[in-house]
Amino acid sequence: MEHSIELTGVRKTFGSTVAVDALDLAVPRGGLWGFIGPNGAGKTTTIRMIMSILFPDEGRIAVLGRKSALDAKDRIGYLPEERGVYKKMRVGSFLTYMARLKGADGDHVRTRVRHWLERVGLPHVESKKCEELSKGMQQKVQFIAAVIHEPELLILDEPFSGLDPVNMRLLRDLVLDEHRRGATVIFSTHVMVQAEQLCDHIVMIDRGRKVLDASLPEIRQQFDPRTVLVEPLDPTSDPAPVRGLDGVEDLRTGDDGWTVSLADGTAPAAAIRAIAGLVEAARIELHRPTLEDVFIELVSRGDRNAEEVAQLRAALRHEPAEVA
Amino acid sequence: MSKILHVAVREFISTVATKGFIIGVLLTPIILVIAVVVMPRLLDEEAPRVEGRVAVIDPTGEVTAGLREWIEPEAIAGRRAELTDRLDEVTSAAPGLGGDAAGQAVQALLGEVPLLDVVELDAGTDVEAAKQPLMADTEPENQRRLALAVVDPDAVTSPSGGELGGYQLFVREKLDDRVIDEIRSGLRDAIVTARVRAKGLDPEEVTTLTRVPRARAVTVTAEGETSGGEVFNLLLPAAFMVLLLVAVFTGGQYLMTTTIEEKSSRVVEVLLSAVSPMQLMTGKILGQMGVGLLLLGIYAGMGVLSLVSFAVLGLVDLSLLIYLGIFYVIAYFVVGSLMAAIGAAVNEMREAQTLMTPIMMCMMIPWLLWLPITRSPNSTFATVLSFLPPVNPFVMMLRMTSTDPPPLWQVWLSIAIGIASVFAALWFAAKVFRIGLLMHGKPPSFATLVKWVRMA
Repeated sequence: MEHSIELTGVRKTFGSTVAVDALDLAVPRGGLWGFIGPNGAGKTTTIRMIMSILFPDEGRIAVLGRKSALDAKDRIGYLPEERGVYKKMRVGSFLTYMARLKGADGDHVRTRVRHWLERVGLPHVESKKCEELSKGMQQKVQFIAAVIHEPELLILDEPFSGLDPVNMRLLRDLVLDEHRRGATVIFSTHVMVQAEQLCDHIVMIDRGRKVLDASLPEIRQQFDPRTVLVEPLDPTSDPAPVRGLDGVEDLRTGDDGWTVSLADGTAPAAAIRAIAGLVEAARIELHRPTLEDVFIELVSRGDRNAEEVAQLRAALRHEPAEVA
Repeated sequence: MSKILHVAVREFISTVATKGFIIGVLLTPIILVIAVVVMPRLLDEEAPRVEGRVAVIDPTGEVTAGLREWIEPEAIAGRRAELTDRLDEVTSAAPGLGGDAAGQAVQALLGEVPLLDVVELDAGTDVEAAKQPLMADTEPENQRRLALAVVDPDAVTSPSGGELGGYQLFVREKLDDRVIDEIRSGLRDAIVTARVRAKGLDPEEVTTLTRVPRARAVTVTAEGETSGGEVFNLLLPAAFMVLLLVAVFTGGQYLMTTTIEEKSSRVVEVLLSAVSPMQLMTGKILGQMGVGLLLLGIYAGMGVLSLVSFAVLGLVDLSLLIYLGIFYVIAYFVVGSLMAAIGAAVNEMREAQTLMTPIMMCMMIPWLLWLPITRSPNSTFATVLSFLPPVNPFVMMLRMTSTDPPPLWQVWLSIAIGIASVFAALWFAAKVFRIGLLMHGKPPSFATLVKWVRMA
C-alpha cells in the first residue's frame, strides 16, 4: 500500500533536549490518523518535521512520495498550532493570497473562497479585516486557508483548541468531509476524547517516543476490559465478599459504587456472574477502557510515579467538552 | 518563482496602500514646499515693525548725526537689498535656493525695516535718569525710548593721544536683537567716520579706498569655465546621498516591521506551509525594494523636474541617476536583508533596537563624512571607504557626484564589491531568517545570531 507519510528512525534534538526519538511511522493514503500525547510530547515537532519546517537530526522522511514536503507543498494543507492571520488584511484577500501561494489559480479562487466562507457559517466577513474577527472565527478562516486548494494530505495541529462545542462539531464534520473527499488527514490533540471520536488510527507519543501505533478496534482488543463497575442497591453493602472473589485484584469504593479491577486472564463474563451472585446490584457494567486509560496504562509502565500519572490524567482531560 | 512574486506583490501593496505610507511620502515634499515658500511669507507678516526712539548722550557732538543717517529706514532698506543681491550671487547656481525664495527667506530673517527716531540728549544729562524711560511703557509705542547710547568723551579724539574710547549701550527689555545690531553698527560707523574726519581725512575717500568688490571663483576645466557653483557642488552629493539613504532605510525599516508583525501575529507558520523561508524572504525583500524604488522615483523625479523648471538640468549628469539606481539596489539588498534577519530574530520592535545599533552606526558614517569626502573625494580615506561594505554605495555616490569624480574602474570595482556583499548579507540573513522565524522567547544577542548561522 502506498503511504502518504513515511518516517524512518527520525530523531530531533534541541540542545540537550530530545524532542523526538527513534520515530517510525507509515500513514497510508486515505487514513484518518490522530497523534495524541500530552503537551510537550513531541507532536508539534514531528508535524513540523513532516512539513519540512524543521529538519530531523537523524532518519528519513517521505511525504506524498517525495523526499521532502517542500517538493509537495501545494498538495498539502497545514493548520499549524501557532497560527495567525494578517491583522490588517481583509479576510477575502487573505484567503485568496493563501490559495495563490499554494498554486491554486486565478479565476475559481474567489468563488471558492466565498463558497468556503458560507460553508463555515461566515458568509459576510469577506470584506472585513481579519482583526475584526473573533478568535474562533479566525480559526475557521485559518482552517479554510489550509483546505482551500483541496490538498491530498491535510495536517492539523491541535485544530480544536479554543473552539466552543458548536464550532468543534462543525470543524469535525468539515474534517470528516475532507477525509471522505479522499484526503489523508492527520491531526494532533492532547484531548483523548476528540481522537477517540474521530480517528480510525491512533499514534500515541510520550516524551518523544511512540508508545502506541494501532487502529481503534485493535486498541480495544489489545486493552481488553478488566474493570467492572458495581453499584449495589444498598449503598451500605459490605464489599468484602466481592474483594475475596477469585480473579479480583483490587476493589475501590466510591460515591457511585465500587470499581472492581480484575486480574490478568480472568474472564469478565464469569466475574460479572459471580459478583451478581454475591450482591444485589442496581448496575453491573463492564467498563470499556478509554484512550485515556490506555495511555495512562502505557505510560505508567515507565518510570512515572503516582503523582505524575495523576497530573498527566488531568492534562489529558483538559478541554473535556464533548465533540459529539 | 510565482510564489516569490505573490509574496512580493502582497508585501508591496500592503505597505504602499496604507494611510501611513501615502501621508509619509506626500507629506515630506509638502513640508519642503511649506518651509521654502509659505513659511517666509508667514514670518514676514507676523513680525511687527519695531518703532521707537534711540536716545544718545554724545559729549563729542560728532556721532549722533552719523547714527541718525545710518538707521534711517531708507538706509537700512538699501543695505538689505545689497545683502540679498550678494546672497543671490552665491546661491544662483543652486536650484531651489536661488531667486525669489532666497530673497524672501532673507527678508523673513531680517524682519521689517524698523522705524527709529534718534533723540540727542544734553551732554551733561545724568545717565541714571536717562535710563528710566527704558523701563516706562506709558507713552504711545512710537515714542517709547528703546535704547540709550552713551558715547565716551574720548571716543573720537583722545586728549592724551592714547587709546580711544567707545560707547555704552543700554536697551529696553526684549528689544529685537536685529535692531540692537543696527544701532551698534550705526554707532560704530558714526564713530569711525568722526575719527577719520578728526584726522583730517575725507571719510568718503576712506570708504572708497577700503572697498574691494567680492570676486566670484571661476572654475577652469577642459570643457570651459564655469562660475558660482561652490554651494551647489557641496549640495549635489548631499542630495544624492540623502536620496539613497532615505530610499534604502525606508524599505529596510518596513521589511523589518512586517517581518516582526508576521512573526508576532503567528501568521508565519501558516505561510511556511506554502512557501519556503527563502522564498518568503526573497519575496519580501523584492516587494520592499519596489517600495524603495517608488520613493526614489518620486523624489528623484521631483528633483529632475525642479532642475528642468529652473532650466539648469545641464548641471547634473543624468547617467548619475542610473548609478543611483544601481547603488540603491546594492545598498538596499545589504541593509534590507540584514533588517529582515533582525526582524525574524526578535519578537517585538523594542527588542530590535539593540541589534539595529550597528547598522544605524554604519548608516551614520556617510552623514558624518559628507563634507570631508565631498571636499577631497580622492583622498585615501574616501577611496578606501568607497570599497568597504556596507557604506561603499553611499561613499561612492558622494565621490561620483563631487567635483572630482573617481575613475570609472573604481566605480565598477565598488559595484562588484557591493554585489559580493549582497550575496554575503543574503547568505547570513537567510540562515538567521529560517531559524529565527519560529523562535519565540528570549531576544537573541549577536552571539546567538552567529550561533544560528553556524547551526543552519
